Amino acid sequence: MSQNIAQCVKSLLRPALSAALMVLLLAAPGQTETIQATALSKTEMLRLGERMYREGILPSGKPMNAFIRGDVEVDSTAFSCSSCHLRAGLGSVEGGVVTPPTNGMRLYKAYRRPPSLNDIPDRAGRFVYAKTVSERPPYSRESLATALRFGTDPAGQSFNDIMPRYPIDDHDMAILINYLESLSSSYSPGATNAGYAFATIITDDVSQEDREALLAPLQKFIAGTNQQVEMYEEFIKFGYSPTIDMKYAFRNASLTIWNLKGAPKTWRKQLAEYYAKEPVFAVLGGISNQDWQPIHNFCEEQRLPCLFPITELPVVSESDWYNYYFNRGYFQEGEAAARFINRMDGIAARTPILQVIQESPAGKALAAGFQKAWSDLEHPTVNSVNVTSKQLRDPKFYSKLLLDNKPGVLLLWTDAGVISSIPRLITKLDTPAQIYLSSSYLGKQAATIPESVRSNVYITYPYRLTPYVGSKEGFDAKVPILATATDFGDNRITSRTNTMLKQVTLQGLKLLYDNLYRDHLLDVMSMQMDQVARDYERLSFGPGQRYVSKGCYVIQLGKGADPALLAKSEWVIH
Amino acid sequence: MGITFVRIALLVAVLFITSNLSIAVAHADNAKYKKSVENYTIPDVTLFNQDGKKVRLSSLTNSDVPVIVDFIYGTCTTICPVLSAGFVNIQKRLGTDSNKVRLISITIDPENDSPKVMKDYLKRYRAKPGWDFLTGSRADIDTVMKAFNAYIPDKMSHYPLNMIRMPKNGSWVRLFGLMSTKEFMHEYQLAADK
Repeated sequence: MSQNIAQCVKSLLRPALSAALMVLLLAAPGQTETIQATALSKTEMLRLGERMYREGILPSGKPMNAFIRGDVEVDSTAFSCSSCHLRAGLGSVEGGVVTPPTNGMRLYKAYRRPPSLNDIPDRAGRFVYAKTVSERPPYSRESLATALRFGTDPAGQSFNDIMPRYPIDDHDMAILINYLESLSSSYSPGATNAGYAFATIITDDVSQEDREALLAPLQKFIAGTNQQVEMYEEFIKFGYSPTIDMKYAFRNASLTIWNLKGAPKTWRKQLAEYYAKEPVFAVLGGISNQDWQPIHNFCEEQRLPCLFPITELPVVSESDWYNYYFNRGYFQEGEAAARFINRMDGIAARTPILQVIQESPAGKALAAGFQKAWSDLEHPTVNSVNVTSKQLRDPKFYSKLLLDNKPGVLLLWTDAGVISSIPRLITKLDTPAQIYLSSSYLGKQAATIPESVRSNVYITYPYRLTPYVGSKEGFDAKVPILATATDFGDNRITSRTNTMLKQVTLQGLKLLYDNLYRDHLLDVMSMQMDQVARDYERLSFGPGQRYVSKGCYVIQLGKGADPALLAKSEWVIH
Repeated sequence: MGITFVRIALLVAVLFITSNLSIAVAHADNAKYKKSVENYTIPDVTLFNQDGKKVRLSSLTNSDVPVIVDFIYGTCTTICPVLSAGFVNIQKRLGTDSNKVRLISITIDPENDSPKVMKDYLKRYRAKPGWDFLTGSRADIDTVMKAFNAYIPDKMSHYPLNMIRMPKNGSWVRLFGLMSTKEFMHEYQLAADK
């Protein structure tokens, strides 16, 4: 056996990798028979295996080195197993590369690549850039170790060059293989071949009207899904034989409403009770006017996908996995203001900026977004003042504040209570005398900003500006509609929940087939094509990206009582 | 009789198509990389680099040393890490001479790839100076992709491509597919020859 492997090494690999692997082989003669459990505890084995798989770090803490095309050395901390095989290990299709599943359940079975339309290359041969082998026998632990080290499957076929070859020793190999065996090995809670259990979350500060705006599309979706199953069953009764794909296309769905009452600190306990009573596969949307954090944290702990709730106060994280949002809410508006000011010639360098933050979750989130983006742009921290809603309406308070700070740019992260003071504030500002506000925080009253000062006032606006075709109630009237200031403060609950269901979640559910794993749902959702949506210019996805609408305009108001929104920036500001 | 003939003709046609298909697929699977020489007109666009600085693309590509361009994005899996490993290795091979090449990665995910995301990406790959990562408005990025005959409507369907500008005549060597470092260095040296 060792002889065979040595031959493989010689014929397949280039000198750099060959040398690394020969060292391994010489150090461990007869290694192929020793891929088995080590003395570590089960939990520790899994933890270390998960780190190898997801982060490319060996149990020793060193990076897992790998080689591509024989001599292209890659550091697996930048490029791990989960980069291509994804977190659930069910593989991916991206960049013309078809990556096969790598969980034990699939590896230890024979594999046959299903034929697909993409088997026909386009004229440039692009779509067949890197395919998996068309057929292979089941792996054993030993042949799996050979595959990872030398890039050959049990039938002796070589992998495509894009799969790195890993010179891993027996001890570490046993840990990695043990992890692959455990990966996606039993269905996630809340899903069976018969159907999905879903929940949605509503907190008690939400009005009855908003509650209905959320539930209408959700309940319609569930009813529609179940109706399709009934129709499908009728077809079967009448003798229709489903194809393999069809077998997984229809599943029943149920929706439980998780109503959360009282203080946010009690939500966790309430969520745990709901979850214990009936674990669900995913949380489909939801709504709260309060900070979403307790719900976010619960879903991360339970590894429960929480998909696109209506909230302006999501958790902003670059590494959390289970919570998907439309955008970063108020935080994103603050970021947009920072990036916009940064791009205005000279302002950032020479103009004092004052940030006025209303003492509220919205004010704080707007300020946090501004500060984060401003410091990422390597500008010094700006002066900030926290104000109560009472101070917000006190002209004397402002006079003193502006006298003390002499700003040329004023960020007013406040509600509409400030509008009547704006003309007076502007007279007290140095050049360029600019005021920045958030459309979401101001709401509809933004349209009452006096015309005389509109050229000094900039407003962050995180929604679509350009015409979309349809009526505001649906997509029936084929007329272009422009957003105006009367759209401020509209939570777009029904339309956004519809987008979540029809454009994003359904796309993911369709691709699950018989892989009913929550991680797989998130994997396939993150690998989908960009989409144009009713409320946003573009939704874009990507591995690990969890805020799908990346844009936020900075606008000014046109004339009149229903002013046009004049874009002063791109949708995405760099 | 007529029906049988049609059936046979159909069978022959199917066999012909499928046999051609399998040849095409096998050929594509075995192909390493494809090379051609092209002339591209660099559009007059201003993009942003990893430091947030404005960069005029044509000024960056107009150089006395070979310029290598690829299209990647910050959260890309599969091919971008491999393309970037190629850039890392070319910088490593050139060592102190790494200023003898200019590396430009252009994002195909301009919505997500802010200067910060790009800076973090370069840091992760331990990029040396001389490797810039550029973003910009979607319209400008689309213009650039089209200019290099590399337009894709969605980042999920991109493909591995390197283009090396030859300083002697301004033509570009278009390399489709993944190369070993040895092959990449060889192509670089050919392009660098006066």
